[in-house]
Amino acid sequence: MDQQQVRSFTERYLQYQQCQVIESAPSHIYTHLSIEADKDLLNRPMYWMYVERMGLQPNPSHQCFIFDAENPPADLKGEYVFYGCPRFTQLLDSAQKHGKFVRVYQDTGVFGMVSRQTKPYSPWLVINFFVSFVCDRKRDEIWSLGIDLQTGAIQEQFDDQIKNTNWLSRIPAKRYTEEANMSISEAVGELEYYLQDRLQNGELTWAMEAEERLQQELAQLDLYFPDDASLSEEQIKSKQDRRRELVWQYHPRVETRLINAGLFYRDKVFRYQ
Amino acid sequence: MFSLPIHYDRSWLSQMEKNIEQDTGWSNWERFQLALEAAQAQVVPAFDSILSLQQIYGFEPLRHQIDVTRQVIHEMRGRAILADEVGLGKTIEAGLILKEYIIRGLVKKALILVPSSLVLQWTRELNQKFQIPAVAQKKAWMWDKYDIIVASMDTAKREPHREFVLNSEYDLLIVDEAHKLKNRRTKNWQFINEVKKKFCLLLTATPVQNEMEELFNLVTLLKPGQLGRESQFNSDFVESKRKAKNEEQLRDEISRVLIRNRRRDGDLNLTKRIVHTIPINLTPEERDLYEGVTEFVRSRFQNGAGDLKSMLSLLVLQKEVCSSRDAVFHTLFKLFKRGEEGNEEISPEVAHLVELLRKVKTSSKVEEAVHIIQQIPDKVIVFTEYRATQEMLIRALQQQGISAVPYRGGFNRNKKDWMMELFQKRAQVMVATEAGGEGINLQFCSHIINFDMPWNPMRVEQRIGRVHRLGQKKDVNIYNFSTSGTIEEQIIWLLHEKIQLFESVIGELETILEKLESEESLEQSLMKIALTSEDPHQIRNRLHTLSNQFHQKKDEVVRTKQEQDERFYGSTTS
Repeated sequence: MDQQQVRSFTERYLQYQQCQVIESAPSHIYTHLSIEADKDLLNRPMYWMYVERMGLQPNPSHQCFIFDAENPPADLKGEYVFYGCPRFTQLLDSAQKHGKFVRVYQDTGVFGMVSRQTKPYSPWLVINFFVSFVCDRKRDEIWSLGIDLQTGAIQEQFDDQIKNTNWLSRIPAKRYTEEANMSISEAVGELEYYLQDRLQNGELTWAMEAEERLQQELAQLDLYFPDDASLSEEQIKSKQDRRRELVWQYHPRVETRLINAGLFYRDKVFRYQ
Repeated sequence: MFSLPIHYDRSWLSQMEKNIEQDTGWSNWERFQLALEAAQAQVVPAFDSILSLQQIYGFEPLRHQIDVTRQVIHEMRGRAILADEVGLGKTIEAGLILKEYIIRGLVKKALILVPSSLVLQWTRELNQKFQIPAVAQKKAWMWDKYDIIVASMDTAKREPHREFVLNSEYDLLIVDEAHKLKNRRTKNWQFINEVKKKFCLLLTATPVQNEMEELFNLVTLLKPGQLGRESQFNSDFVESKRKAKNEEQLRDEISRVLIRNRRRDGDLNLTKRIVHTIPINLTPEERDLYEGVTEFVRSRFQNGAGDLKSMLSLLVLQKEVCSSRDAVFHTLFKLFKRGEEGNEEISPEVAHLVELLRKVKTSSKVEEAVHIIQQIPDKVIVFTEYRATQEMLIRALQQQGISAVPYRGGFNRNKKDWMMELFQKRAQVMVATEAGGEGINLQFCSHIINFDMPWNPMRVEQRIGRVHRLGQKKDVNIYNFSTSGTIEEQIIWLLHEKIQLFESVIGELETILEKLESEESLEQSLMKIALTSEDPHQIRNRLHTLSNQFHQKKDEVVRTKQEQDERFYGSTTS
């Protein structure tokens, strides 16, 4: 991420978190944080606990974020924000925390207004998975999967399909939603199963290499501590500890976490493009 | 077929079901998109890229430091001995590796064990250079509270700390000055062996000091079995305690766990040092004081006051008189007070000195310092050993309209930082009494005045090293003030002409001095020479002998090091 991307991300974050922007320039943004943003960004749990216990008027902080270190504002003390600094990491984490779950309806614009009859929406569950391939090394992918809750059909890269559409939080007039044929937890199960299958049949060289390294290291350990009566109590423990460390270090696996999930009601017309 | 374990986290599901049921708690589309973008910014796209380089700000790692990072993570799999020679930036390498692992999410919990004098320096370096939220461990409760902790090894291995450490699992353990782990029968070694760790970095400039077994023990901490079992190692590789066999194979094995950059390998680009000896001619009054003090010191010394402690204070006096009148005054005043406590009259000798002192109204050295600084259109750091001199100098500079700030070991952290900032941004001159310790990095300054000269070469090198270091872009000018016809002139002659301390870094200076000082410290030897020689001629002869001994030790150290380097690491590395 370059500084411009950092700045635009920060600006949108502040806007969506209802922070008041007092001064905005290409080099910096001066803002009065919202309570939520203050709690997420400024690490002062004691203050917030105190305010809440005592029932005091909360007073979230003013902050100046600087994006151009060469040209800081002359009259404001601020903090240089860049990709990799702890503040920006907190911003990224906070953004994810506040965008976890949605239930939204496709905005079909004026079409709905002029139409005489009511029109149906079909329900989709969308999950954005953060998928990490882990051994002694690591890389990540984002899998955005959507499942039609009526038919069970699954589509990949769902984020691409939905990003250019406007999605409303409230159902528009003259629209209704069709019933789902499966529960949310069933649908989650389907998506997990699907993802597992795709990953299992994907690129596995990295995992096999890591497994091989693990086996080699374990063999080396066996040579060093051969399993015979000569091993002292202490050596047996050392060997066990070391075995554990090796598995911890090399064992290849996939770890997933949820980025976010949503119920997306899509216009039925567009269902199978 | 290879089966890949996949772990799913479903703890979020009940929250979403609750949202649906109660129709509350929903976010909106913009925030949903922003969250996805935030996650995208955290994706590590490839196994073998180095991401930390784009996420540090304010300094640029050197080529060899980046290479080390890549090699440790991608080839050595995070368990390695970093054995660069002193001054090549092992701390930077360890910081880069830690940062890279943190970005990749492979390290959350890390422990950095260092000598207690370096705890704060490491913490600051990690905080400032790498934006890594490391904390210096001070109290036992901190062990469980923080993820990234810098602590002293001596503290960590003792209860109650020991239990906290051994009950934790560290994604990365870094041990600085790891040559303290060369002996498998020590508490240090056993402690580090017991700590549960995924990745591990051992930092030392001297992985083998004496015996080959030391290297075996270090490697065993990282990867037991890498060099075989001990008996096998001995029969395969050890000819005698200090001699190896099957050297090629040994080098190959070692290169899998150890990286050593040597000065000539590294792309250091250190600038030149230009040394100026500035002869100072004393005024008649100063000369009288110098002779007076010298006479006083010698007679005291010969009159049986030969024990070490009074010898030391006499030495101080002898050195001070080469620095400034004020410095002498301070010590004389103490001598005078000590006399008073014993209800003695102030001795006629001391009274005489006070009389001589009163007559000195000017300082030739200070005048020269002002003169030189006025010619330099740039920042200057002046080092003196004495606080009285420091104060006098600052006063004199200020009278000439030259802005100068002091720096002392006794300042607290904030004040040190403040003075450093003033020097960098406002003042032309800093007058420092201390060169060691943490955080004095003066790459922005390229002129050093040694107002008086420490008799300990390490302290001299420390002074120069503050300025002449990685990141210095200009040639460094060193001005040595040498008072003609005094012991100072002789000492500078020894350090400059005979042991060539100033023109370039003497590698392994510390080791050479250790060998040279097996019986008494160099300072003591110098003091004896100063106090017991008949005349300047004899002093010079004895200093000459001393310098021959120095060179002899230096040759020995250099030879041993070359042999070891050849044997263990090959002639070229990385």
